[in-house]
Amino acid sequence: MAFDAQLKMTGPVAKITLTGSLDAASAPQFKEVIEQAAAQTPEKVVLFMEKLDFLASAGLRVLIFAKQKMGAGVDIYVVGSQGPVLGTLEMSGFHHSVYIQDSWAEA
Amino acid sequence: MNPLRLPATLDALEEIGNYVIEAARQAGLDQKASYALRLAVDEIATNVITHGYEEAGTKGDITIVGEITDAALTVTLTDQGVPFDPLSHRLPEEDDLALPLEERQIGGLGIMLVINGVDAFSYRYENGSNLNVFAMNRRSFP
Repeated sequence: MAFDAQLKMTGPVAKITLTGSLDAASAPQFKEVIEQAAAQTPEKVVLFMEKLDFLASAGLRVLIFAKQKMGAGVDIYVVGSQGPVLGTLEMSGFHHSVYIQDSWAEA
Repeated sequence: MNPLRLPATLDALEEIGNYVIEAARQAGLDQKASYALRLAVDEIATNVITHGYEEAGTKGDITIVGEITDAALTVTLTDQGVPFDPLSHRLPEEDDLALPLEERQIGGLGIMLVINGVDAFSYRYENGSNLNVFAMNRRSFP
């Protein structure tokens, strides 16, 4: 499936919905959306991954970039990641750097 | 299966991924195995495209072929780019120093995803070609 990343700001929360396959070919597109989100100086970043069907290490690299770009005070949430994608995140130790959740509830 | 030969650019990754998915389907691999194989091939193909050709400033092709036996599905990636052994991490010194910390870690991470995911992986350089070979065992039916 073709990759897409849609950004929506809800107050100070940057919400990005990811669709399709994220690898070296699509990572630059994701990185650009992260930059757009960072320009909004959000307090939180939520990545909705229910529709992400594939995640390669190039995508993980953008997650690291996001963490650095947003700054230490901004929490990053990964919501709804599917089996193998979640498996990759955990195998790579990302559950130490981002909050992995099944769902997102507005505060 | 018939080999698929493509120009080694990032655009090739999608077709390579589709080829692996189809090979896994023909071999009867389950979803988890199919995904792991697709990921491993994507990681290595990405290295071939970026390190083997792009960074060297050259262009070339990458070929993928799947072979199904009773025991396993074997996928072989072949290219004529710079000799690049993904298992070695032997980067030239200046390049190594130039890489930010996160890059170095991620390089190892991609290879870790390969090795942890597939049942067998090997690399060799032969007659001017890099050969990356992945194997996934087929489930034995009673």
